[in-house]
Amino acid sequence: MTNVKESPLISVRNLEKHFGDMKVLKGITVDINKGDVVCVIGPSGSGKSTFLRCLNRLDEPTGGEIIFDGVNICDPKTDIDLHRQKMGMVFQQFNLFPHMSIMKNLTIAPMTLQNKSKEEAEGYAYELLERVGLKNRALDYPLQLSGGQQQRIAIVRALCMKPEVMLFDEPTSALDPEMVGEVLEVMKELAQEHMTMVVVTHEMGFAREVASRVMFLDGGDFLEENEPKEFFANPKNDRLKEFLGKVL
Amino acid sequence: MFEDFRQQFYLNFVSEDRWHYLANGLLVTLKLTFFAVLLGLLIGFTIAFIRNVHDNTGKLKILNFICNLYLTVIRGTPVVVQLMIIYFVIFGSVRIDKALTAILAFGINSGAYQAEIFRSGIQSIPRGQMEAGRSLGFSYFQTMTKIIMPQALKNVIPTLLNEVITLLKETSVAGYIALEDLTKGGDIIRSRTYSAFMPLIAVGLIYLVMVLILERFVKMIERRLNKNDKR
Repeated sequence: MTNVKESPLISVRNLEKHFGDMKVLKGITVDINKGDVVCVIGPSGSGKSTFLRCLNRLDEPTGGEIIFDGVNICDPKTDIDLHRQKMGMVFQQFNLFPHMSIMKNLTIAPMTLQNKSKEEAEGYAYELLERVGLKNRALDYPLQLSGGQQQRIAIVRALCMKPEVMLFDEPTSALDPEMVGEVLEVMKELAQEHMTMVVVTHEMGFAREVASRVMFLDGGDFLEENEPKEFFANPKNDRLKEFLGKVL
Repeated sequence: MFEDFRQQFYLNFVSEDRWHYLANGLLVTLKLTFFAVLLGLLIGFTIAFIRNVHDNTGKLKILNFICNLYLTVIRGTPVVVQLMIIYFVIFGSVRIDKALTAILAFGINSGAYQAEIFRSGIQSIPRGQMEAGRSLGFSYFQTMTKIIMPQALKNVIPTLLNEVITLLKETSVAGYIALEDLTKGGDIIRSRTYSAFMPLIAVGLIYLVMVLILERFVKMIERRLNKNDKR
């Protein structure tokens, strides 16, 4: 038996993304281990979201490779749909399916893609809904819910697929301030259960409190990485110092 | 005056059972509209789908080219001309059923317009819906059929019903290939009785009543859709 800890869950090698002439990601190399809660911070336009969206190829990388579960998912021969089932994603705009009830939102993917029975899928969905405190909204429609509730449902929708990693793309940026807390709370609980998470966020408090590693991305590359205490207390990179000076 | 009206009415509609021209014509018009809409639905949906796949994935280049050619030609020429070309040129040497030809012509014509309606419907769905579907592991095709299309369809139902109304009126040129639809029926009466007023006004009124009924139906559907939307 090799030590499980030594092989990262996601291994990003030299990841590049160009939009035309614009280099958004300039050869990023980073390992994400099982149980890591990685917070990615950086100024807008730094490539944070693009980095995250490349991890499940919602944005197609133009170079480098991403090894997930031992498979290079950038290889065109890889069935990306199969791997995406193991990578939950939560969007800034929630993106729930407005024409389906909450329950249908939560069960359509497990039932269609993992051949779960209706009972099984709904049972698990109810279990998760209970934990985010929205069990009584199962038969409502997404647009009847507040933003914070919708985002909690979106997290549950991703979790219903029992993913190995959760990707969060600025999950609280589109929320009214009073609703940010309830979403962060759910994410915090998830982190405490050792879910592997990659979170692009502007919530410095969350990064400081919950992250196991914080990374600073600017100009298409990671300029600094550290455990949160050290990261916020003793930033070394000048650009990071400047950035933290503005946001803290 | 009233006596004159009564006489005219009798002459144009009652004597020799001339109202049959209108009744039978109405049936032909309805049949024509119904099947042409169905054919158009099939064509329109398929074209919208092909063009959307092409726009998003770059695949289906040849099919997309054919679709664009079809849209350009059909939307760039009058429906009467298309109808006559199909009847006199394409089926010139084979005598096939006139009604069938007309259904084909109007269906092909309507398909081009319905394709654009579907396309705008698909484009009205936010990008995030496709991304959410794909991120869960659905293929492009699955996301299209399970998530995008149902929402797009719902959005375009009122516009599609308006297309039905347009088509209903457009079929009035079916007389060009001597198909006895409602308009032609009225025209036949006119040629028999040498009075234009009664039959033509009657034809116009019948179209108007049908359009009003359809419009009321559209409003009803719109209201119901909005209610279900719960936004």
